[in-house]
Amino acid sequence: MDLSGRFGARSGDGVPFREAAALESLHIGGGEEFRQMVPPENAGGFAALLELPPTQAVELLHSSSSSASQATTLHSLGTLSFPSNPLLMERASRFSVIATDNQQNGNVSGETTTTSSVPSNEHIKTEPAETETCDQAAVEKQSNRCGKRKELDKKVKSSTKKKNKSSEENEKLPYVHVRARRGQATDSHSLAERARREKINARMKLLQELVPGCDKIQGTALVLDEIINHVQSLQRQVEMLSMRLASVNPRIDFNLDTILASENGSLMDGSFNGATMQLAWPLQVMETEQSYHHRQLQQPPSQQWPFDGLNQPVWGREENQDHGNDHNNLMVGSTSLHPNQVKMEL
Amino acid sequence: MASADKPINTDVPEKDVFTLHFLQSLSNLRRQNTFNSPEKTNDRVKKIKKAAYVSMARAAGGTNRLWSRALLRRAAKENSKVVRFPRRKKRVTCLRRRRSNRRDPVEEEEAERLRNLVPGGGGMETSKLMEETAHYIKCLSMQVKVMQCLVDGLAPK
Repeated sequence: MDLSGRFGARSGDGVPFREAAALESLHIGGGEEFRQMVPPENAGGFAALLELPPTQAVELLHSSSSSASQATTLHSLGTLSFPSNPLLMERASRFSVIATDNQQNGNVSGETTTTSSVPSNEHIKTEPAETETCDQAAVEKQSNRCGKRKELDKKVKSSTKKKNKSSEENEKLPYVHVRARRGQATDSHSLAERARREKINARMKLLQELVPGCDKIQGTALVLDEIINHVQSLQRQVEMLSMRLASVNPRIDFNLDTILASENGSLMDGSFNGATMQLAWPLQVMETEQSYHHRQLQQPPSQQWPFDGLNQPVWGREENQDHGNDHNNLMVGSTSLHPNQVKMEL
Repeated sequence: MASADKPINTDVPEKDVFTLHFLQSLSNLRRQNTFNSPEKTNDRVKKIKKAAYVSMARAAGGTNRLWSRALLRRAAKENSKVVRFPRRKKRVTCLRRRRSNRRDPVEEEEAERLRNLVPGGGGMETSKLMEETAHYIKCLSMQVKVMQCLVDGLAPK
């Protein structure tokens, strides 16, 4: 009857306590008369039963005019399957006894007592001030709650509220932070979509910087085409170079123990005795002295670097000595001066 | 506006790391006795190529990157070796489930092509795929440079 208007919709696991307390305070505050359209506080028990977000309830209540007439049956109290018509709250109050049986909220009983305490009020008038506070309180309470509450945002009409809510939620939520822009749909799906799209766009920008000549192009499809072409060309280059390597160096020996032993970032330039060959290394292979000492120096390196299939470049230790006499040896620098040297031996 | 994720990390190690690994693998290859025979050039080429890729994968961040893991795993399978990776939390199955929502016809076909190109791209979401592609491109270009230098060094004409 009377308090039916009080029980605004409330979704599930809210904080019924506060609502109940607020409700009672409101109630005690003195016999206000609420029209059923005005959801008072988000009363815990029945509100929870109605399973509506408070704001939605506000909307509904505001929109609906004739409250008293329509009241749907309350047989589904226990299952919380109320039709989303807050007007049935009128009936709800009558069935407060049933509510007490509900174990949903401990506060239901409290509310029912309060309900019963005000049996006399027949008319529930709108109290805008109350409504305002209720509304804001409701909003605050919502935002204080953790968990995914994006759907709450959906129902709110005003875009400012939308922004506020989402911003508040962004602060609390531990995961995806998406801010709904003004005038955009705040579907959870579209939010996620937007987040993902922005992620992809960010990465696309990154790729664009990598691939030369991609920043001029507009449109994602073409950029992606470019990227794919680039990757393909790089892979082909690797293949080509590996073929060349295979053909050019049938025999390469690296003894990498030393290299690994003295592994560090500094690579030094190698100088070859008498060799005109200069490595076009932006980086150089590094070797330590040890291997150098182990070597047996062979022919002085006045020779050039005639490279044909027979010549087999050998890098490394004396294991390579047995590789034939027609090898040219290019010895690198002097030992003491250059601890890290490139040694190449043909 | 979506909040920015922490900056996308596509760091690639220096060239020397690449060289090291590559030369290492090449030397291993060298030790095989049948390596030098002139007839089996194709095999050699393939081996070198594979060595290049594997060494690149190892050099470029080992198992931290999806594409390198996929590469290494593929290579190990061919050699029938068992590769052990540190356990990852996400499973591909979860990704598959979510993938169904994320269709965008224009970019999906491109993404498909990318997936075929980049090793290990099959199980990735589009955004992750792009990240991997960026890193892959960097590593590939590094590898190309290294190999180019090698070839130039050994056959300067």
